[in-house]
Amino acid sequence: MPSATVKTKKTVRSKRRPKAKPMTKLEMVQKMLADQKIIGEALQQGISLKQLEKSHGYHFARL
Amino acid sequence: MAIILHAYNFYRFDDLTFLFTTDAGDEYQCYFISYAEYFVSQPDIAPNFFSFNLKLISNEGRPVRKGIDKRIADTVITIVGDFLNKKINAVIYVCDNSDGKEAARARKFLSWFNYYEHPSHKILKVSCDIEAGGITLYTALLVHKKNKLKNQLVQAYLELIDYEDDNK
Repeated sequence: MPSATVKTKKTVRSKRRPKAKPMTKLEMVQKMLADQKIIGEALQQGISLKQLEKSHGYHFARL
Repeated sequence: MAIILHAYNFYRFDDLTFLFTTDAGDEYQCYFISYAEYFVSQPDIAPNFFSFNLKLISNEGRPVRKGIDKRIADTVITIVGDFLNKKINAVIYVCDNSDGKEAARARKFLSWFNYYEHPSHKILKVSCDIEAGGITLYTALLVHKKNKLKNQLVQAYLELIDYEDDNK
C-alpha cells in the first residue's frame, strides 16, 4: 500500500546568529591597540601567526 | 636623481611573515593583518585593507640602539611597496602607543615615504588621527596611485576616521 505523503511542520526554529552590534569608535581604537599587543606578545613567545589565526581568528595577508 | 634603497636581505619565514636582521643583530618581523572587520559597511572593498606591523622580536638582550638605521626604513619601504605594487590592497599603519612615542613614530613612518624620486613616489599617503575616549591613535593609509580602487579605499578610510557612534 502506498504510504501517504505527510507534510510535517517544522517545530524547531533554526538557530540564527544575532546580528553583530557595530563597534563604537572607542571599541575600534581599543581593539586595534589590543590586537597589536596580543600579536606582539605572542610573537615574543614564539607563537606563530598561523597559530594565532586558529586561536584568535585573526586573518593575515598571504605574502 | 633616483635614490637607491639599501634594504636588508629579508626572507619569507612562512607565507605570512617576512624576517630581516640588521647589522646590529636585531631581528625584525613584518606582517599584514586584515582590517576588513573595520569596514563591514563596505563589503566589496573591506578585504583590501591590511595593517602593516613591524616588530622587533630578538636583539639578544642588548639595549635597542638609539639613532637612525636608514636601512630599516629602506627595508620597510621595499616590503610595503612590494605589497602595494599588486595594486589591489591598501595598508593602514597604526602607531603603537604602548611607550608614549606614537607621535614620533608616526612622523618617522611617514617620512620614510616622503623622499623625492623614491620608489615610494608611486604610493599615495593619507595620514589622520583617530580620537576616541581620550585616546589619540596616529594612523596613515598607503595605497598605490594606480590602484583602481584608490578613490574608494581613501574614501572608506576617511569615513572610518570620521566615524561617529550612533549611540552618542
